[in-house]
Amino acid sequence: MHELSICQSMLRIVDATMEKHPGAKLMRIFLEIGKGATIEPVLLKDAFEIVTHDGPYAGTELVIKDIPLVGRCRSCGRSFEYEEIALGCPSCESIDIEIESGLEMNIKELEIDE
Amino acid sequence: MAKVSIEKRILSENDRIAIENRKTFADAGVLVLNIISSPGSGKTTLLEATLDRIARELAVLVIEGDVSTERDMDRVRARGAGGIQINTGGGCHLSAKMIREVLGELDLESADIVFIENVGNLICPSTYDLGEDVRLVLLSATEGDDKPMKYPSIFHEASLAILNKTDLLPHLIYDTEKVMKEIAVLNPNCEILRLSALQGEGMDTWIDWLREKLAAKRGEQTSGARRGT
Repeated sequence: MHELSICQSMLRIVDATMEKHPGAKLMRIFLEIGKGATIEPVLLKDAFEIVTHDGPYAGTELVIKDIPLVGRCRSCGRSFEYEEIALGCPSCESIDIEIESGLEMNIKELEIDE
Repeated sequence: MAKVSIEKRILSENDRIAIENRKTFADAGVLVLNIISSPGSGKTTLLEATLDRIARELAVLVIEGDVSTERDMDRVRARGAGGIQINTGGGCHLSAKMIREVLGELDLESADIVFIENVGNLICPSTYDLGEDVRLVLLSATEGDDKPMKYPSIFHEASLAILNKTDLLPHLIYDTEKVMKEIAVLNPNCEILRLSALQGEGMDTWIDWLREKLAAKRGEQTSGARRGT
């Protein structure tokens, strides 16, 4: 639901970066989005197209790397994807779990044609 | 083709403003709670019931976030709170900037507690730090017992989860233990309280929790005593 707002925040970072490369064309934006970050990549791409279709970033590709939601059990040390479980560590059933990845919402890099 | 490295959180600007907000709140010595829940889980009813118990001795401000109307603000004003309504006009969450923009209209220096009632949904508000001390996720027994694993992000970020409408549990199929375990899996540091804002059970524990947090926040202030407390 908030993909439009995320998109606008992303574009402010993109604008600030592109200002340092006058005349360059933005080809690709590389993002990392965690599975647990509550961002739907399809909606984010839709929002991006709607916002940029008549501006300098028309046709720019949004490349989204999905990061799995991974937890690590503090008791036995096992790492596992959250889809595997609902109620704790699949090995020892401990509920003392640390989330290792899957909450990312990062802009990694831009590919530009100078 | 050239690659330009950025390596930033997309919401880094929001995070920056949230840090400013947090400093403003700390300087004023107020405890700030950001309340997040689905629509209809009882955020405003919890605020009303809370105000009934503390408004005589503590100065409470409420920042109400809603897509439209001032209905929630009217309800909490009637119970003795000051504050301000933010209408997001379709936006599904509050942001640090929206809070920043209304801070000048609030008398933070005289306030003890600020409640920020976020726009009702469990998804979008979870990723926006507003500068609060406590991120409170409110669940209600009528929503079903599968919420924590469906919305991991909010539970991972929350410091307190409150299960509301416990008075209805005898009439529902709701596995409270499962919910509490799922929350613990997502966030072992998240405290959990159970109450009925409407009927009053569990409210005393919540009020005690609030007072302890306020005392702890005041204790952190290097400026020392305010108002003789």
